[in-house]
Amino acid sequence: MNSIFYLAIQIAAIVLVAPLVNGLIRKVKAFTQKRTGPPVLQMYFDLYKLFKKEAVVSEVTSWVYKVAPYIVFATTLAAAMLVPVTTLLVPFGFPGDVIMLIYIFALGRFFLALAGLDAGSTFGGMGSSREGMISALMEPAILVSVFTVGLISKSTSVLQMMEGSKSMGIPLSHPVYLLVFLALLIIIIAETARIPVDDPSTHLELTMVHEAMVLEYSGRHLALMELGAAVKQLVLITFVVNVFLPHDQLLSMGGPGVIAISLLIYLAKVILFSVIMALIEVNTVKFRFFSVPNLAALSFILAFLGFLNQFVLS
Amino acid sequence: MTKIYLDLLPALILFSSFILVSNKRIASYIRTFRFQSLLIAVGAGVIGLETGRIDVLLVCLLMVALKVIYIPNLLNSTFANVTYKVEKDFFFNIPILIIACCLLVVFSYLAIPTADGIINVQVANLVSAVLIGLIFMITRKKAFGQIVGFLVIENGLFATAMFATQGLPFIIDLGMFIDLLTAVLVMGVLVFRISDEFDSVDVNRLNNLKG
Repeated sequence: MNSIFYLAIQIAAIVLVAPLVNGLIRKVKAFTQKRTGPPVLQMYFDLYKLFKKEAVVSEVTSWVYKVAPYIVFATTLAAAMLVPVTTLLVPFGFPGDVIMLIYIFALGRFFLALAGLDAGSTFGGMGSSREGMISALMEPAILVSVFTVGLISKSTSVLQMMEGSKSMGIPLSHPVYLLVFLALLIIIIAETARIPVDDPSTHLELTMVHEAMVLEYSGRHLALMELGAAVKQLVLITFVVNVFLPHDQLLSMGGPGVIAISLLIYLAKVILFSVIMALIEVNTVKFRFFSVPNLAALSFILAFLGFLNQFVLS
Repeated sequence: MTKIYLDLLPALILFSSFILVSNKRIASYIRTFRFQSLLIAVGAGVIGLETGRIDVLLVCLLMVALKVIYIPNLLNSTFANVTYKVEKDFFFNIPILIIACCLLVVFSYLAIPTADGIINVQVANLVSAVLIGLIFMITRKKAFGQIVGFLVIENGLFATAMFATQGLPFIIDLGMFIDLLTAVLVMGVLVFRISDEFDSVDVNRLNNLKG
């Protein structure tokens, strides 16, 4: 009974906070450009508007087009259940669930790429092929990073990784954690389609990767795609922030008040990480697409160096 | 606090060497070199403050003045007269270079002498930073890459000396700095003259001048 209650809090926390991260990043970008920018809650209003509108479906598409938004949203929700926002409330967890996390995202991405191809437009096909290349290049980096963190905490379950780093003092002061954190930072930028890999606010279709695949969608389908992308971003941010900046060891035992404080500290960590991501986005330009393999090689090598250091030090 | 910084320093220097190898823009080479020199200078300052040795502190100040302020500004002003801002031609493309550098790191882990079978990770990281600077120098076609590679080798040697033996005798450090300054001044003048005369800093094309 308790685990259903924890599950509800977990999903509510992630789905409700996800659009906030996007709004915050846009606000920080606007401030650095001496503009006021859209309000921080803008994405909530956008989603509400999109859910009310009619979904226009092209006549030349197949069932993949109609089914893909639901699959994308469902996979990101399933991934959201696997990464706890605080180690005091854990609905599920089993050994090996970090591998399941990565490949649940891969399932969603597969259907997203098929949906981009389905409408038969050239921009959609181009976006799908680019997304395939980027995700193929980033996959070894993600795997080596999470396996290194798993080596340190001697388990492949996300909860054990978070517990393992709680007893380490400041995790980022260890060279292994620092190298893996830098690798994961590059990976998050690539997976959530941010500058320097893909500009989320561009209107030029020749430069789009993620946006090109959802170009044909409207109404509630588009709302589900956008919300799915935001939830995926928050799940990856939660993983990084809870493993590398654990906060639960600072709280003493108590009642339900402790859970509320823990959730508030989690929110503060997410805001801090969003500001860091926004500053990175402001200070770099979007790379030429064929320079993305350089970035992927760099993140793979950083993760591999972290693994080497860990292997040698123990 | 200082112990945390000294623990992280070899990993950060290795990180900055890899950023150097994965870059194509010449302004980024110079900026990454400046960042790396600043890291090493702060490390030298920390060691000097902890052990209380005045000569290490002097070397730290000298390094800041020379490698963080003077030499990057000199390179930037020489670079402003050159038309190439991004390297387009490579002997090997960047992902292969990065993997080769990673194999170098593994090699240096295995090759540095160990104490009772325990690999000294910090010294091995710094020696591999030297080797990565060497690879960077020999695989770039434009003269600026070669100059920055030479400077990165020098950086790595200095950091290794600092970690392995807590600093070299002061007179040797002074000699190294004077050599470095002379070499960079000569190279800067040469690059300027080459660019002026041939309108290109691709030193491979100098091969066309052979008989």
